[in-house]
Amino acid sequence: MNMALLAMTADTAQTQDLVTLVPWTFIIQIINLFIQVFLIKKFLFGPINEILEKRKNLADRVIKEAREAQDEADSLKTQYEESLTNAHAEAARIVSDAQKEAQNKADMLVNEAYEEVSSIKAKATADIEQEKKKAVNEAKNEISSLAMEIAGKVVEKEINEADHKKLIDDFIKKVGA
Amino acid sequence: MSQSFEVDYAKIYWTIKTGIPILGDLQITDTIIVSWIVMAIITGLCIYLTRDLKIENISKRQAFAEMLVETGNNFVRNNTGGNKFDKLIPFVSALFATSVVSNLISLVGLRSPTADLSTEAAWAIVVFIMITATKIRTNGFLGYLKGFTTPIAVMTPFNILSELATPVSMACRHFGNILSGVVIDGLIYWALGLASAALFGLLPGALGQVLSKIPILGIGLPAVTGVYFDWFSGVMQAFIFCMLTVMYIANAAEEG
Repeated sequence: MNMALLAMTADTAQTQDLVTLVPWTFIIQIINLFIQVFLIKKFLFGPINEILEKRKNLADRVIKEAREAQDEADSLKTQYEESLTNAHAEAARIVSDAQKEAQNKADMLVNEAYEEVSSIKAKATADIEQEKKKAVNEAKNEISSLAMEIAGKVVEKEINEADHKKLIDDFIKKVGA
Repeated sequence: MSQSFEVDYAKIYWTIKTGIPILGDLQITDTIIVSWIVMAIITGLCIYLTRDLKIENISKRQAFAEMLVETGNNFVRNNTGGNKFDKLIPFVSALFATSVVSNLISLVGLRSPTADLSTEAAWAIVVFIMITATKIRTNGFLGYLKGFTTPIAVMTPFNILSELATPVSMACRHFGNILSGVVIDGLIYWALGLASAALFGLLPGALGQVLSKIPILGIGLPAVTGVYFDWFSGVMQAFIFCMLTVMYIANAAEEG
């Protein structure tokens, strides 16, 4: 009732009813809506989605690159660590080799010294032995000649010296034995 | 100031006689002209926002445009649960933008196109066709028809009624809210005009006569009441309309 009152007061020639469905307006509004959908798609969603997609691709690429760099760094690190370990082992080996060699050399020197000392000692012993023999022989000779001289003087007769010498040598042998 | 209250009717500027029965005459009204203005505003805004787009180091303008797009994407994706309805995003966004700008354009003194039932009816019919098309696509035409007989055959008339009630309720809800805003705004301006005429009419002489012609009390208070009747209800109704659109279509695709 109120609506009817409102409609009566309005200028009906110039305005449309307050609550009404105008077919042409209805159709035009449907068309307008679809035009608006098209425009908003073309001018807002199209460009913005494109930019968002591009940015996503960029971000993906950056992340991928970073990951690759990380992998490369990791592999390099492993490589360095490995070579470092190798170097340590090498150094230890060199040191131990050197120690061994030094030990060997020292041992050799000591052995040589021992050998030399023992050879010197043996030679000295042999020398002493020889000297002793020589001295004994000389003493024997001296004694025999001395005995012959004494015996000659005793018998005053020069007997065959060779027989005598044999006689005396037998005597000395008996004495010396 | 007139003593009788008048609602802001949609003016008819031209009437083009078409002679087509049922459809009647083509009337160029406030509704249609303001609709075009609304479309121009939205499209102009879109073009302005998407000018000079960059991938990195973006401007505030571009950030805002991206925010709008992301909001639209998220709104549809969250309410349908997936990317299945991505094609709907521009439609729903256009619906929302048109609705909001149409509702709020009354703030600059133009008549809202949404204060004309034809507008909402047009939108609701489009949505209704989309819902029905989705249902038929999901269940097949026979499946769609069979859907009316669930849970029992006796329910068929009620199901048909509830199906038809969907676009009617969507259109009338939106229309009623905006029209009530228009009417209440009109009433407030009218009442304040009367009040200021009565108040300043008390002043003696020519001063009182001049001042009583100007609705001075109309400054200020309508801005406060407009926060609810124009801003809140305008944005709210646009949101509800779009929400229902998305929900109905998502539900239609899930049936069967």
